[in-house]
Amino acid sequence: MKDWTLIAKAAGLDIPAKDVGRIAPSLNALDETFRPLVRNLTPEMEPALSFRADQERA
Amino acid sequence: MTIREAAEALRHRRFSAVELTTAALGRIERFNPVLNAFITVTAEQALNQARQTDADLAAGRDRGPLHGIPIAVKDLFYTRGIRTTAGSPIYRNLVPDYDAFAVSRLEAAGAVMLGKLNMHELAYGITSANPHFGAVRNPWNAKHSPGGSSGGSGAAVAAGMVYAALGTDTGGSIRIPASFCGTVGLKPTYGRVSRHGVVPLSWSLDHVGPLTRSVRDAALVLNAIAGHDPADGASSRHPTVDFVPDEGCSVRGLRIGFPESFFFERLDTDVELCVRGAIARTEALGAEIKPVKVPDMAAMNAAGRMILLCEASAMLEPHLADRSQFGPDVLALLDQGRLLPATDYIHAQRLRRQMQREFAQVWSSVDCLVTPATPNTAPRVGENTVKLGGHEEDVRLATTRLVRSMNLLGLPALSIPCGLSDIGLPVGLQIVGPPFEEALILRVGAAMEDGGVGIPPCPVA
Repeated sequence: MKDWTLIAKAAGLDIPAKDVGRIAPSLNALDETFRPLVRNLTPEMEPALSFRADQERA
Repeated sequence: MTIREAAEALRHRRFSAVELTTAALGRIERFNPVLNAFITVTAEQALNQARQTDADLAAGRDRGPLHGIPIAVKDLFYTRGIRTTAGSPIYRNLVPDYDAFAVSRLEAAGAVMLGKLNMHELAYGITSANPHFGAVRNPWNAKHSPGGSSGGSGAAVAAGMVYAALGTDTGGSIRIPASFCGTVGLKPTYGRVSRHGVVPLSWSLDHVGPLTRSVRDAALVLNAIAGHDPADGASSRHPTVDFVPDEGCSVRGLRIGFPESFFFERLDTDVELCVRGAIARTEALGAEIKPVKVPDMAAMNAAGRMILLCEASAMLEPHLADRSQFGPDVLALLDQGRLLPATDYIHAQRLRRQMQREFAQVWSSVDCLVTPATPNTAPRVGENTVKLGGHEEDVRLATTRLVRSMNLLGLPALSIPCGLSDIGLPVGLQIVGPPFEEALILRVGAAMEDGGVGIPPCPVA
């Protein structure tokens, strides 16, 4: 679990503590699903920063 | 009445565009106080436009099937001289001096614009319970949500206020209101329709598309708005075709994928019954229904959410100095996006490329996929959770569960109505195709519609 209040403070964001508390469960749930996916990425997998739908065909 | 039927009647002088527009304005006057589908009604301008289209038709200047047809657009499409709010006080004074590409295409096709449609605040949510302009209501039952974010578009089309509406779809925002309101909704391939002049939410996930009362009507609108636009950096040069399915089109011989895992888990019982019934009907019409395995869709949803949270917060950060301008649900999402590190955004875009590559393999065994559009029917206005398969879920996450991944992949996806729940709420079915295969999914949708998959008109329509 990340300390989202500390992260907000470190980033200098003016998000009230009660609002951070309210969104923390959603952020934790997303992080829990997302983190394992990232571990499997290989270095040659580049970001799709300029996304095109027909870039990758079977 | 569909666009095709109205267009034919206009050409046979059974009524004029002015009469058609006056009738539509009458329906807005009658139903909008309850449904709250419109933020701005441009009655005078619409009647002037209708007079002009009548004069053009009389003079033999026929601009095609949308000529004289009353339409409206979600209030995030730029409209020259008409306020464009995106459902937010941030844009309370925005009066654009040009039309969005899609709006100008519809105008060139002779459509009569009746006004600007209510929506979820900033298109960032699925209820259309807008804290600044009031909640949009579902025409099938005003105690229920029309879905969103293009909720006004779904409600106005279902209630017969307009024949077609434009919406946008960043994580299901066309297909969800289509599903909940019992209309057709098409999210074209990313790049197929220009986003120029559309207030952005997430640059790499936003799509523009129509909501209509029939599949062929959606194809007619797509014919008008598709095509390359140099003003949109993501606009594709992929050739356009006539998207309107032939009369008597068929699914015979098509391989339609049936992805049972993920897409048929945790569904409302009525949704599952209606969608399975529609698939059985499609098989009876000659399609080969093939079970198919799809990549990890939950992972795609996680990557899609990561991208959306980061891009939307970047887009709206300049306005966050005044937090009072945002409703609580939108503010919560914007705060989440600001707390995520840049590395996670990059990782999500890397995952997107990997997932796109994996998903492309699906098209080697099937021509398209059929799934439920939403796992649930329209929740009640104000309902924050929904119970599916014995699990209590956040209504936003549940409702976007089956549609969000298609924004990540940029694939064309069509929602069509396929039945009613036991309390009379519409159920939507989603047809997904390979990139730029809108003509194929529209053909499948039209064949299903012709073959009896559908619902009766909305009681107020």
